[in-house]
Amino acid sequence: MIQLYVPGASVVHRLGAGAKLLALAVAALVLSLVSPDAWGIAASLAGVTALYLLARLPLRVLAAEIWRLRWLMVVLGGALLVFVGPLPAWISTGRVVTIVLLASLLTLTTRMGDLIDVLRRLIAPARRFGVDPESVTMTIALTITMIPVVAGFASQVREAQRARGAARSGLHGVVPLMVRTLRHADDVADALAARGAV
Amino acid sequence: MRGLQPDTAQRSIALDGVTVLRGGRRVLSEVSVGLDAASIAVIGANGSGKSTFARLLDGLVDPDSGTVSVHGLDVRRNRREIRRRVGFVFTDPQAQILMPTPAEDLAFSLRGRPRDEVALRVAAMLAEHGLTDRADAPASALSGGQKQLLALASVLITGPALIVADEPTTLLDLRNARRIGDLLLSQSAQVVLVTHDLELAARCEAALLFDDGEIAALGEAGDVVAHYRRACE
Repeated sequence: MIQLYVPGASVVHRLGAGAKLLALAVAALVLSLVSPDAWGIAASLAGVTALYLLARLPLRVLAAEIWRLRWLMVVLGGALLVFVGPLPAWISTGRVVTIVLLASLLTLTTRMGDLIDVLRRLIAPARRFGVDPESVTMTIALTITMIPVVAGFASQVREAQRARGAARSGLHGVVPLMVRTLRHADDVADALAARGAV
Repeated sequence: MRGLQPDTAQRSIALDGVTVLRGGRRVLSEVSVGLDAASIAVIGANGSGKSTFARLLDGLVDPDSGTVSVHGLDVRRNRREIRRRVGFVFTDPQAQILMPTPAEDLAFSLRGRPRDEVALRVAAMLAEHGLTDRADAPASALSGGQKQLLALASVLITGPALIVADEPTTLLDLRNARRIGDLLLSQSAQVVLVTHDLELAARCEAALLFDDGEIAALGEAGDVVAHYRRACE
């Protein structure tokens, strides 16, 4: 999930990025390793809701996050409901939704720069194996920046095709999108050079 | 104005016999020029060699023959130092903005410096350009004018000695184009401005007219712009 920071001064916002990342990892591990019952999943979802409230995020933010997960819930929950039963469907889907909502909360309350700093520190020991932490973190940040740009290109390609009478772009949209994206990648490479990153 | 004898000795920007080839075509042909004006407009038709000239100054393009020197430094031999001294503003700010939010993108320009200093300078730059309330917004959600303002701010925050702007107002509406133009021309750094906006070009101290990879005119901006207008009629 690519989310972006919502400024705030809540306890959750003020907590260090490293602490929040650690808490997310622990929560994900616990939810994955321990087998909660139906009430346990309900409690974990209630806990996540409480954390969103503690972060003083408007309820519509939480609602938007849940709406974003609708297909995951429908596909995963539906499949489990049909093939395994209602209880495992509730538990497994609830477990995934809880973890994704926690991950979203992390990115909603933490500046990307702070997360990247933590990541850089975590990767630093890998330097002895030839991994450059700066390159890794730069790549992640650049990817996050470029996702909406490429999505914008896709939308422009669709509009251009509709304007020329194509009802559905389908696969025909892939080639112009790739061409635009690769051209943009060349420009970004120039910008990286001009800004002294390479 | 054709026939102006360029002087390449001890100028801020000097090109000596520069030729650039692309796919067998001469994009720039034996260009020699010396420029020391505070602001220099670079004008000419599409494909005349303007952008290639601009890119030579930051080492984004290397000449196939000849030398390029900026503020006494050979661009090819001193790439790292040149990139430190020269700020490049691209036509499309979306390519130049590398980080997810304005605050992070400005901080990227100052990477390696103490955190407190970075925070202070970023806050000051955001305030100076009216972007404080957009500091943590997704960069993709900024308006076209705000994106170009951010791209320019990401250059200005490094305090460059030379700013090279390649058609920075082409994608902007009139109000934003004027704002970016005013901002560029108010800088104490030397400015090289590639543009199709002849009003903006005429406000520079000097201008350089390219035609088919060669310098067609060089001189006081108003004269060169008038010459270009006549040539286009």
